[in-house]
Amino acid sequence: MKDHFTMDEPQPRVLDETKQGVIGTPMDRPDGARKVSGTAGYAADHKVEGMAHGVLVRATISRGRVTDIGRASVMDLDGVIEVVTDPRMTRNPAQGMAGEAPVQPGDDVHYHGQPIAVVVAETFEAARDAAQRLVVTYRKEDAASDPDATPDTEVGDPETAGDFDAAWAKADVRLDRTYTTPSQVSAAMEPHAAIAEWTDGRVELRSSLQMVRFNKAELADTLGIDADRVRILSPFVGGGFGSKLGLGPEAVAAAIASEKLGRPVRVVMSRQNVFDAVLRRSETRQRVRLGASKDGQLLALSHDDRVSNLDGEGFAEPVSQASQFLYRADGLSFTQTVARIAATPAGSVRAPGEAVGMVALEAAMDELADELGVDPVELRLNNLPDTHPMDGRAFSTRRLADCLQDGAARFGWADRWTRGTRREGDWLIGMGVASAARSNMLVKSAARVRLQGDRAVVETDMTDIGTGTYAILSQIAGEMLGLSPDRVDVRLGDSDLPGASGSGGSFGASSAGSATFLAAKRIRRDIARKLGCPEDALTLQNGRARGDNREADLSELIDQELVGEAEIEAGKTDESHFSAGFGAHFAEVAVNEWTGEVRVRRMLAVMSMGRILNEKTARSQALGGMIWGIGTALTEEVQSDARDGHVVTRDLANYHVPSHADVPGDMQVVFLEERDDWANPIQTKGIGELGISGAGAAVINAISHATGHRTYDCPALPDRVISSLAP
Amino acid sequence: MYAFDIERPTTVAEAVNALKTDEAQPLGGGQTLIPTLKARLAAPSKLVSLSAIAEMIGISREGSTIRIGGATTHGQVATELAESYPALGYLASKIGDPAVRNRGTIGGSVANNDPAACYPAACLASGATITTNTRDIAADDFFLGMFETALEEDEIVTAVTFPVPQKADYQKFEQPASRFPLVGVFVAKHDDGVRVAVTGASESGVFRWTEAEEALSADFSAGALDGLSVDADGMITDLHGDGAYRAHLIKVLTGRAVTASR
Repeated sequence: MKDHFTMDEPQPRVLDETKQGVIGTPMDRPDGARKVSGTAGYAADHKVEGMAHGVLVRATISRGRVTDIGRASVMDLDGVIEVVTDPRMTRNPAQGMAGEAPVQPGDDVHYHGQPIAVVVAETFEAARDAAQRLVVTYRKEDAASDPDATPDTEVGDPETAGDFDAAWAKADVRLDRTYTTPSQVSAAMEPHAAIAEWTDGRVELRSSLQMVRFNKAELADTLGIDADRVRILSPFVGGGFGSKLGLGPEAVAAAIASEKLGRPVRVVMSRQNVFDAVLRRSETRQRVRLGASKDGQLLALSHDDRVSNLDGEGFAEPVSQASQFLYRADGLSFTQTVARIAATPAGSVRAPGEAVGMVALEAAMDELADELGVDPVELRLNNLPDTHPMDGRAFSTRRLADCLQDGAARFGWADRWTRGTRREGDWLIGMGVASAARSNMLVKSAARVRLQGDRAVVETDMTDIGTGTYAILSQIAGEMLGLSPDRVDVRLGDSDLPGASGSGGSFGASSAGSATFLAAKRIRRDIARKLGCPEDALTLQNGRARGDNREADLSELIDQELVGEAEIEAGKTDESHFSAGFGAHFAEVAVNEWTGEVRVRRMLAVMSMGRILNEKTARSQALGGMIWGIGTALTEEVQSDARDGHVVTRDLANYHVPSHADVPGDMQVVFLEERDDWANPIQTKGIGELGISGAGAAVINAISHATGHRTYDCPALPDRVISSLAP
Repeated sequence: MYAFDIERPTTVAEAVNALKTDEAQPLGGGQTLIPTLKARLAAPSKLVSLSAIAEMIGISREGSTIRIGGATTHGQVATELAESYPALGYLASKIGDPAVRNRGTIGGSVANNDPAACYPAACLASGATITTNTRDIAADDFFLGMFETALEEDEIVTAVTFPVPQKADYQKFEQPASRFPLVGVFVAKHDDGVRVAVTGASESGVFRWTEAEEALSADFSAGALDGLSVDADGMITDLHGDGAYRAHLIKVLTGRAVTASR
């Protein structure tokens, strides 16, 4: 029996009443020791009896058709088993939550780098050798790979509130700026990998995936088989950041090759494959227009953007997402243009929308503050809306003003000097601020909890992508059942377990956590009945049940396993209230006057993101996001050949994510107390993406404060900074 | 990597003989050649390793000059020249990472003449002499362009001899991932004037900035560079920085090198 719960009204704060006291504690991850000792089995770590090795072959044209895959050119090589092609093969990973097959192009090539075959051999070395030697013949077609050059663009209808043109006309001060951000990649530490094995018409896939419930449907649809013949295992995932939301071409290739050859096949993407054939974050060109009255009231706000994607992909980077709810204005307008290009397709990369959109919006706010002669913190505080500016929904909870004020006090904002006036030797010093915002979601999720005496098991197909799911689900179940988390065993990433939201959109902890909470809550009902007390009188702590002057050890009271299963989904509160995490980023930088090098000297983020389930894993998420912000502002840029769209920066030497030396030792994160009763029954909000949202803008704004000049193209590489200083 | 034969001669004469085979190629420390082979961008039938030739390894002081055997590693140069020619020792100590410095050799570096290699700048600014199995070549005549030198087929760099200047310094603006210089400037003050050599910047490879040399020969101070600028034409533009930025850096780094030279 499964409890079904719909989030239709604000929920009581049960986790503030329970007595175990483990919620929010900075507990170590229970899987940590296995990870650092190399005993946590990631997808490609497994060795299956009789396993063959597959290496993907990439297309070396940007559009056209494979006329001959060149099988004969490699079949004589030692160890080569087969060159597998198949009309069911996929050209790129599924988009997040697709639940259906990605585009299956057959022999057609849609972008340079598209997987067109998998070479299978007895050893990895033989497979790679053959894949490199393969002589493929194509019929080439012309296609534009440069978003600035393609004739194929789709201009969306403007999303508006009020009358932007009228408000813009009335404004005393008008700012009209264009910003660009380059393509970015997730660059998860674990490359995408899969092992597939067929037994009696059923396929078992071990792969590195974020959303097992959806991935199962994607694999079934791709192969054309019933979902009950698919099992997916993804218990450990070495980072995802959106790049593993959907089933990848390496998994499809492994499944098809394994089926055809009648033996298990492993396919691991090289780092170069990952750059070529995993969804990137679109480059953006953003035009922000802000109109304000002399006294610093925003009147007009427009944020138009141009992104790109491959034809057939429904995803478009939602650049202006946060711009639509962060500030008030009389007229707001947002128009998106999608350029269709023949290049590696785009999809979700950590905080799609906010990660790059807020860089432009918050830089524009900063420049507006300069124009008005208003403090940038004050300008933001003076323009917070009462309700959602686009649809009038009430905010569930929003402590953005507190974040800005608390952060300003902690960071020493009051001591900020006139821009462009402080130097230490050759270094110009500046401080910057930016708001942080990321909308919060609840996604259908189920979990099962079993109580065996004073030990519990949590079962769900939810994933832990390095974020701490194992930790927080053991904390939630432990809190609800009065058990130390080390007495709770958490089983994840198996599609045979109850289907959860998966990890994505920062909704995993809230959604799977709420399902776990509800499943444990159901067990509390059974425990109360066994003890003979009303449920609301029950107290569970350290393995002991108390209520109505009765008490018993769970180890004795629970003589047979209790099972609770629950499912949650969003409901009416989502229609009546708008939930988002908010925060404020502060950064101090030093800019070398002569070389344009930028050193981030310290960063602070103050965040209100609902109830914190685990202070340590939450902090890690925030820090990770802030470091991405440094990368966005200073280092990360995918470069492609404009002629054919092929990715040039195909490794981590050429795509520079911040290294330790790029990140200051002084990185502070502060969480403000918050409970979002409208969001879900555990009062949480998304954690994983708020840290990146706005972080890059704080760095960009600090550079401007240091130098007195602005850069409009990210990343602010030294040559761009130097040219911004030129008279 | 394609299959190849390898020989490891112990004398220069044997090495020269071994190189007479068609498509044979000398192998120094292999820090460029081996990755090139791995990428299948070269397919020599035979490699002739220079790493076992005793007469090509080691450093000796000869009067006011320092002679470095062609097969001497960057690591050895870094350690042994720290006192006797600190600018050169420092340069060697900042090439790549420890693995590169323990394999890569000075002979390999100058023979390859990568446009962003460090050693060519030191050779040019020091007025070094490159010695091969057949002749001595002045550094000014040796570096001809990007990856291009005066070396003939079958000619091996057996040694490089550096006059030790009064003062010198090397300034390198590192590309953070590869540690190659985005721009590197070697400034050397000799009895008969100042030499300034620039690597990493030009599409034609390492070059001397003669205007700066004249100004610094008259007045060896960073201020002497005021009013000078480097033309961005012909400077490398790539994903790490554009030509104008490199031209700008040349002046900045030259000034720093003058100030830091000792």
